[in-house]
Amino acid sequence: MKMSHAWRPVIVILGAVIFLLILRTIYVPADFTAKNGDYKYQWHRTGNEKYWQDYPAKHMGQEFCGTCHADKVEKISASGHQKVECESCHALPEKAAKKHPVDLKEDFKYLLEIGVDSTRELCKRCHAKLPYRPAEYAGAKGTVKFKMIDPKTHNAGIECVTCHDVHSAGFK
Amino acid sequence: MVTRRDFIKAGLLTVAGMTIPISALEIFKPEALASLVESFSKKKRWAFVVDTTKCVGCGMCAKACKLENEIPFEAEVQRTWVERYIQTKDGEVIIDSPRGARYGFTSNDPYGKELKDEEVAKEFFVPKLCNQCEKPSCVQVCPAGATYKMEDGVVLVDRSWCIGCGYCVTNCPYFARFFNPVTNTADKCTFCYHRITKGKQTACIDACAFGVRKIGYLHDPNSEVFKIVSTQRVAVLKPEYGNEPHVFYIGLDHIVK
Repeated sequence: MKMSHAWRPVIVILGAVIFLLILRTIYVPADFTAKNGDYKYQWHRTGNEKYWQDYPAKHMGQEFCGTCHADKVEKISASGHQKVECESCHALPEKAAKKHPVDLKEDFKYLLEIGVDSTRELCKRCHAKLPYRPAEYAGAKGTVKFKMIDPKTHNAGIECVTCHDVHSAGFK
Repeated sequence: MVTRRDFIKAGLLTVAGMTIPISALEIFKPEALASLVESFSKKKRWAFVVDTTKCVGCGMCAKACKLENEIPFEAEVQRTWVERYIQTKDGEVIIDSPRGARYGFTSNDPYGKELKDEEVAKEFFVPKLCNQCEKPSCVQVCPAGATYKMEDGVVLVDRSWCIGCGYCVTNCPYFARFFNPVTNTADKCTFCYHRITKGKQTACIDACAFGVRKIGYLHDPNSEVFKIVSTQRVAVLKPEYGNEPHVFYIGLDHIVK
């Protein structure tokens, strides 16, 4: 008794389904799970959690820089700039701007490019007079008056550090 | 011979059967049921507070974030950015965020148009970042299982599984997602997961000299974030979307979108 020809497409389809199911078990990593049975929001490859936990931290702040530059950190901690992190002015986006004499990457595993940004633009980010910049804010020792200048009239064209000492937040 | 009664019966049965989606069968798994009734509120849950009244728009947060998370600095994509809201006296609302505020706000010229002080009714800055929603719409639409919510509420992207389809980017009501031009995958703020899990503050909090941003466990009675959210007037952005965002803002205004 010959099998009816109608079974042929059925067998082809079944074969394709079985092939795809086998492929799926091979292709999808074993750690793909829905945590807590939550398929809606927690269906993921659990191995990826480690990727984000082990991502390298780059900003180290005053504590790290203070290991060599204790004098600078001490000075700035006693000034109005106490809450400004070193990286705000010293971390630079341009690779070419590398000015740190010691190779931080090799010796300290520090990953940011360090230099000095002494442009007016940088100081203006906080100190340019805008009518809606809060004129005072709560510091560690009560309210601190927030000094703002009009960059057009205030010694235009000269770098701020010509007269001002950034680390003591006063004059040189 | 099919009677009318039989036909209607069979029809109703068919429709009823079709309305049971496979996902509903999940409910019969006990652990799935538990995740539906037991909210995250009993577990540890990261949350963020942004005090817009203190923000001066220096954009140091945006700069720090880009350097910390290796987002190409000059690319017009941001994990966190600062928006400036200006309402003029004739009622016009101007919203801008030049270069994502990574170079800060240094003059009062939204879109190159110089504004005089007397034209302005009110102005303020609003820092923005991913809201790490309790019900993230970005995760719901991902067809690849490449983005997911951690048990502590932080939403992350699996860079090795993202296929770059962009569903999540278009689905985020907060415009917090973008394509990373280096990895060619979806990218977003992670609450600096690599830092907060090691007891550090996020890069943007470290960089902020004005105490605008705070992070902490929402259900730890000792965390500053919990104290602020439970005792002060806070708001979230776009609550009508039902995402249950976990970035709480102090000092929002009705013009903030």
